Amino acid sequence: MSERVFSVILLPTSDCNVACEYCFEHKEPHRLSPALLPLLTRRLLDHLEAEQIEECEIYWQGGEAMIMGPAWFENAGEIMNRAAAERGRRFVHYLQTNLISYSPAWNGVIQKMFNGSLGTSMDYPNLYRKLFKGGAAAYTKLWTKRLREAKSAGIAVGVIAVLHRASLEAGPERFYRYFTEELGLSDFQVNTPFPGGPAKEVEGGFQLDSRELAEFMVGLFDLWMTEGYSSGVSVGPFDALIDHFTGEQARLPCIWKENCSNQFISVDAKGTVAQCDCWVTSYPEYFFGNIFREADLTRMLKTSRARRDFVERPKHLVEDEDCLSCRYLSICHGGCPVRTYSALGTMMAKDPYCEVYKAVFACAEAHAGEILRARASPVVSLRRAHELGVSATQ
Amino acid sequence: MSEEATPPLRILPSALAEANGDLPFVAIVRNREELFRWLRDPLPGLRWLQVEGMLGDSEAWTEAAHDKSHIPFDVVLSDPASEFSNLYRLVDSSAEREVRVTVPAGPGLAKAVRLAAALRFPVRILPGQPTAAALGELREVLEFYLHEPMVEAPIEFLHSLLASMEGGDTGSLWMILEEDPDVFHHCDADGRAGVPRTDDSGCVEAGSPGFVENWLKGLIAQEGECAACPWQQPCRGYFKWPDPAYSCQGIKGLFSSIQAAGNEIRKELASFTAAEAAMSDPDEGGER
Repeated sequence: MSERVFSVILLPTSDCNVACEYCFEHKEPHRLSPALLPLLTRRLLDHLEAEQIEECEIYWQGGEAMIMGPAWFENAGEIMNRAAAERGRRFVHYLQTNLISYSPAWNGVIQKMFNGSLGTSMDYPNLYRKLFKGGAAAYTKLWTKRLREAKSAGIAVGVIAVLHRASLEAGPERFYRYFTEELGLSDFQVNTPFPGGPAKEVEGGFQLDSRELAEFMVGLFDLWMTEGYSSGVSVGPFDALIDHFTGEQARLPCIWKENCSNQFISVDAKGTVAQCDCWVTSYPEYFFGNIFREADLTRMLKTSRARRDFVERPKHLVEDEDCLSCRYLSICHGGCPVRTYSALGTMMAKDPYCEVYKAVFACAEAHAGEILRARASPVVSLRRAHELGVSATQ
Repeated sequence: MSEEATPPLRILPSALAEANGDLPFVAIVRNREELFRWLRDPLPGLRWLQVEGMLGDSEAWTEAAHDKSHIPFDVVLSDPASEFSNLYRLVDSSAEREVRVTVPAGPGLAKAVRLAAALRFPVRILPGQPTAAALGELREVLEFYLHEPMVEAPIEFLHSLLASMEGGDTGSLWMILEEDPDVFHHCDADGRAGVPRTDDSGCVEAGSPGFVENWLKGLIAQEGECAACPWQQPCRGYFKWPDPAYSCQGIKGLFSSIQAAGNEIRKELASFTAAEAAMSDPDEGGER
């Protein structure tokens, strides 16, 4: 059996209960019917079997996943896990939600199906995540309340923050303190923004100057190394980069994979299959097919002309861009196709955040170098021995 | 792979390999049928598959990624300049098996090595008797290998040569590059073993035991470059084969650079060890 893990970003609905201004997803009231779940599961398991993959990660998100309700998830988890076990496979479930409709009624299924953890999102400052009534301030207040309730219920919460112009203006220190001190989080991830979908006026706030963005990211990285790294705070993708540069096993984010096309797909409530949630919600020209209408997912992925572009993209980048001469090629491979496509209208170019990534990689490399030198340095060894009360001559 | 290849290892075309049974061998495959024949039903003696001329066949690699036989691949590029970007096609296969990339020294060598290193594939460079242009690429690759922290997998022959200059027991270049005819029997379409890089695979000289030592003795007897060459030990006349008139001037520069890097590493290690010793012995100074 293969050690490869296949991931599916599964959107049980494209509907949403909030009105974030920058959201590029095409919202629809369509919901995944429980009656279709066995078919969806069978198609996924057939594919795992064809690929001889034992484990499949299911990332449930939306739209807003919690719209489906806890009972729906409990049922879905049971159907999928039972079918997987019967075929010697395993699904591992993850939940990404805006938390707005979280209530204690979710605790059971979160513990049972999602291993007691979930992912959510919040920006600092929050200007664009809004409730239908009450705007951004009301959103922040309600979300913070839900976050505290979830944490009190023993749920481990990871937060994704998307940067925008006001984040850069606030600066790394206020940004870091908001998440670690005000929200008391020990696990959050910083994402670079991208326009996605049709152009909207609000996206102006997300067109960040690469130099300023790089400066912010490096400042945040430095701050985290000083204050968070040794005290158990995890900030993605910095933590994975430190792992990588110190020679540890690292799980780098999907934007830096050799080729994301072979590692995951996304399926929406109507059965549409595309590369990831960004593609399935926004770019019909890059749909691979429909999992309910086509009996063989493996065949669909092999024969999809749209998917071929994803498969061939890294080849093009090393031939036509300057990626081959980049010292960070091994951890970037030209970056994210959707970030590129949404900004440039083609994916056959390197990620527009190239310079930002390089600055972050260089920062990670420098910090990792210090860590490695400290591990090897006799002076530090002596100090460490002294701290431990052990004589260095023992 | 050379560690697994202790004598004698036959490297032979797929069709001839059928009769090899339990004896250790490498099958050379050049098309899908040959590749999947060995993946489906490998003989016990099969050590790895030498895959030639197949990087362009993307479907074959998609298919190969599904195979769970764990048989290692040595993927040989014939034209690195046009083929290097296809190395991305090997990524999925490498999740299931060891994949090595073999690249001849020629146009595109540096590109192929860079990408192979970025994908964490071990590399074997076949230098042959490199032209001036190929030497330029070799120098670029050496620089990359020595100074690029992203290089994680060995780039042969540079890696073993550096190790040998630091006292490592890696054998000569003939051995490092799997071309010593005493150990590696490279067979032609008729099954005749010979020395690589020559058309006359069945020549008596080449097939006789102790070929490398005899070859070197002959070169020294002629009082040519090899006689007084400081790199005679690791090289054993490798770069004088098949044309003994080949000038090793450029190659010697490459060896010197490797030696200089080795010296630098040794010096740094010595100073580190000294610092550590001083730290652990307070009477010898250091931080108190």
